[in-house]
Amino acid sequence: MAVLDSPTRAIDAARRPPPVGVGGEKVVETHGLTKRYGKAIIAVDGLDLSVYRGEVYGFLGPNGAGKTTTLRMLLGLIGPTAGSARVMGAAPGSSASLVKVGAIVETPAFYPYLSGYDNLRLLATYCGVARGRVDATLAEVDLTPRAHHKFSTYSLGMKQRLGIAAALLKEPELLILDEPTNGLDPQGMADVRNLIIELGKGERTVLISSHLLGEVELMCTRVGVIRKGKIVAEGTVDQLRGAATLTVRGTPEETARAILVGEVGADKVKAMGDATFSLVVDLQRTAQINRHLVEAGVAVSELHADERSLEDVFMELTGTEGGL
Amino acid sequence: MIYSAFRGELFKFVRRPAVWVLVILLLALAILLGYAITYLFDTFGSSSSSQGLPPGTTITDFKVALYPENFVKDTFTTWSVLGGVFALIMGVLVQGSEYGWGTMKTLYTQRAGRLTMLFGKIAALAVLVLVMVAALFAVDAASSTVIALIDGKTIAFPGADVIVQAVIAGFLIYGFWAAFGFALATVFRQSAMAIGLGLAYALVVELLIFSLLRGFGGKVVQQIEQWFPIANTNYLAQSFGEIKIKGISAGAAPFANATHAVLLLLLYVAVFVAISAWLSRRRDITS
Repeated sequence: MAVLDSPTRAIDAARRPPPVGVGGEKVVETHGLTKRYGKAIIAVDGLDLSVYRGEVYGFLGPNGAGKTTTLRMLLGLIGPTAGSARVMGAAPGSSASLVKVGAIVETPAFYPYLSGYDNLRLLATYCGVARGRVDATLAEVDLTPRAHHKFSTYSLGMKQRLGIAAALLKEPELLILDEPTNGLDPQGMADVRNLIIELGKGERTVLISSHLLGEVELMCTRVGVIRKGKIVAEGTVDQLRGAATLTVRGTPEETARAILVGEVGADKVKAMGDATFSLVVDLQRTAQINRHLVEAGVAVSELHADERSLEDVFMELTGTEGGL
Repeated sequence: MIYSAFRGELFKFVRRPAVWVLVILLLALAILLGYAITYLFDTFGSSSSSQGLPPGTTITDFKVALYPENFVKDTFTTWSVLGGVFALIMGVLVQGSEYGWGTMKTLYTQRAGRLTMLFGKIAALAVLVLVMVAALFAVDAASSTVIALIDGKTIAFPGADVIVQAVIAGFLIYGFWAAFGFALATVFRQSAMAIGLGLAYALVVELLIFSLLRGFGGKVVQQIEQWFPIANTNYLAQSFGEIKIKGISAGAAPFANATHAVLLLLLYVAVFVAISAWLSRRRDITS
């Protein structure tokens, strides 16, 4: 019976979708990917990147960090100086790769004398997609009312939405989006964010580059921070933020210290001076800790959580200040 | 996939106003300059217009060039270089605009590879050039018919074989110009520089410098010139014969024959396509 079953199991296994997320199938993989311009400029410096099927991966970095150069290399638009990359299991820019990838790189570029509809119809011709997809994608990005107007008359936000429609035309397994909310008004940004979150559900993988931290925080399941062409940190947003701390100020100081050490352990309590302590603790325990301090006769004059924002982490990792 | 790229390019040509403007302008000039103004000049030109003409001829005798039996020769005489400039601009626009609009990255992130897209584009450009040439001959044939009817002359076209050969030769001449423009646009990754340098080469190097040098070097210069492309477009055009006015031929026989011209033009087209393909395949798309 087991012998008879095994071919069936093998077929079932082949049909079964591969596992999604970290540890699953790698849809983007780079090893030592490097791009130099002359001897002086290193745009991307030995980048090792893995993006897994089903992830919404945020590629975060300040302007000039090498995000767009990396994405261009993944699409085969520019060739690496050193290192290698595989996208959807094939060489970047090859037909085998491109057929499964939809992309926006920087500002979407289309033919100004064609309407939005005709631009997508043209792309559908190039990539062998049924014309019916054109209407569907235009509707998906809410461009149907302006579909037959010339691209040159579109606002920046409409151009961006047409770019997203073009990226979706092939129903790609991997979406590579370079700053997709550029030029959009707040409502447009929210719409695109929600669209990307929707698109990232299930098995589709989204690799999105941005310097907008809030955007990445809301959309991405995993984030890689790039600085001067190198990944300087990678993980979920929570992992990057690290553990939260609780600041407590209470007198008498010795009683407060004893209570706090009893609550979380000596190694997680740090005296900051002036009867102030910093605790690494699950913030849900804040009320409980406060009650115990008060019950022990400690006068609590300050109690607040210190949760690092992604922006703090970003500043720390990239050495940038403001201007984001 | 080349067929998809080819269809896509044709789709763009049909909808692109610049393509229509160029083709319509070429045809309008063919009617206006090639026939209407020339006819008016030959018919109503003053006696001073006859000065410098071959002995025994008047300006009205030149109307014979406008009649159907000479429409192939007349088309080549007037349009082999002037129309070539239109083909050059067409070749430049087809490729150069993609760089200007940044649409090269859009093209190259679709399904087909770079060379597939390039050869689809070149195939579509070839069709466009063929249409231009065929339309030019058709317009000239129609114009010459109208003039023959006005003058009450017999309508006698050259044989179909001559017309077909002329369209093929015109296709090769304009194909060279278009390939030249396409390659220049690929090299410079823009349209303005490509058109400027293309025209400068044609007008200054081949037309002006060689015609000046011919005054000094004669045959030696012609022997050098025979390896240059525009000279060969002229040889090919001249191979269809000269228009004779009262049995007198105004021009000299071409320095090289049609076979030489065809082979050399094909070689130039192949080199331009190869340069475009090599650069398109290797270069980074950074905008």
